[in-house]
Amino acid sequence: MAMTVADLDLHGVSDALARRDVTSVQATEEYLGRIERHDRVLRSYITVMADQALARAKAADAESERGRRRGPLHGVPIALKDLIAVAGVRMTSGSELFADHVPTRDAFVTRRLHDAGAVILGKLAMHEWAFGRPATEGSFPTGRNPWDVRRAPAGSSSGSAVAAAAGLCAGALGSDTGGSIRGPASMTGLVGHKPTYGLVSRSGVLAMCWSLDHVGPMTRGVWDSAALLQAIAGADPEDTSTRGARVQDYLSGLEAGARGLRLGLLRRFYVDYPKLDDEVRAAALQAFDVLAAEGATLRDVDAPSLEVSMAAWAPFLAETYEYHAENLRTRPDGYRESLRPRVYMGALFTGADYLRAQRLRERFRREVEALFESVDLLVFPGQMTPAVRFEDFPMTGLAPVSLRFTAPWNLLGLPAVTVPCGFTRGGLPVSIQIVGRAFDDATVLRLARAYERVTDWHARRPDPAGWRL
Amino acid sequence: MTDDRRAQFDAECHAAGLTLSARDRELLYDMWVDWLPQRERLRAEIPTPEEEPWR
Repeated sequence: MAMTVADLDLHGVSDALARRDVTSVQATEEYLGRIERHDRVLRSYITVMADQALARAKAADAESERGRRRGPLHGVPIALKDLIAVAGVRMTSGSELFADHVPTRDAFVTRRLHDAGAVILGKLAMHEWAFGRPATEGSFPTGRNPWDVRRAPAGSSSGSAVAAAAGLCAGALGSDTGGSIRGPASMTGLVGHKPTYGLVSRSGVLAMCWSLDHVGPMTRGVWDSAALLQAIAGADPEDTSTRGARVQDYLSGLEAGARGLRLGLLRRFYVDYPKLDDEVRAAALQAFDVLAAEGATLRDVDAPSLEVSMAAWAPFLAETYEYHAENLRTRPDGYRESLRPRVYMGALFTGADYLRAQRLRERFRREVEALFESVDLLVFPGQMTPAVRFEDFPMTGLAPVSLRFTAPWNLLGLPAVTVPCGFTRGGLPVSIQIVGRAFDDATVLRLARAYERVTDWHARRPDPAGWRL
Repeated sequence: MTDDRRAQFDAECHAAGLTLSARDRELLYDMWVDWLPQRERLRAEIPTPEEEPWR
């Protein structure tokens, strides 16, 4: 069968556009066709912006005809989690409350993507307010995992993961407060990049928790994520967390390889965790051997405060409660029953709890900073288990235990990337995770690419023949 | 013990100004009980003077 645009990663689409093998309009039409054919099952889009996308694609092609190419995203069709504003297009945050909400301004990252020439295909499904649980009913159900449609893709950036993995866009943006980029990316065989806190603006992005929210790429390849990050990174006066943003060149050093990098394996907290799935553990350890064979050095390290990191993460949900308090008081039925108690929990942490959490976060930061004096990057398995069936997803409790693999790194705001490192015997993707120093996203991406280029997990595609119920 | 715990939960909801339906109150109570060990763990940690809030 001939290779199609939808089989390519974002890099491949970008190259095909640059070579004029395909026009942006053709690429956009192909993705729109796939959305039409497959999204009734996959449920990755909340809003498809067909007319706007085709208009932007036509404009991109016209620029190309005039010899102007804005960069690697020129004419590339991508999509956004439905909490990132596009002016004039409804933005639901997966919530009935916002079912008719239409922002009047683009988010900062949307403007940056438009400036880079990207074509936005639409707005992607997500767990309610980025904090809900998988939903199989209602106006905004969770997308289905393209590797097994009976399984959830995790969340909250579920639609971003499904659309990028299934070739319903060339790449997507998600958001991550406790793992909402890296979790779904791991479950669907994607690269998921939570950038350094303060590197990417959240203005025009609906909040879950101001102190821990990050916006970042979810793509089939590492180059893809680097290209998207390059477009969206940088200071924005409307998000003061970005005042100190230090933007690097994320593409030029990607092929520098693993040689010389010193890796610290967080073995005690992650590899030895009894609930870690055996197949995930085995695949991750094998991946670390690959990195060692590529010239990285690997040694075990530990940060004792990881043990209290989830206890320190939860009080930040006081921010989530504050964000929703008035709507919960006046329109509680606008929230799913599975979400309401989780938001109310934020009201039951005291001011002292919140500050204790801040102080433990500082302790944790110091421990990890000390580790970074002798290693360049931290590595560990990217997820606790492969994707689970919808009916097996834990629906009770404040936070699933699997969050220990991701949420601690939101507390520190460090750059964290998950990279596919294999498949289970049942054909489900698994991943490793790489964490780096603040604002050194380039080195994290470099190691991710060093692994990717000597393996072929990222090149596998889910089979559309399985996308039926 | 359960009665004490229930009374503590009710007091905390009152202090937080929460007005809940009966169903939400039960769901929240279960979640609160489930998370208590983590909260106790948080409160048992004694930061040093240098461990100041994140700035």
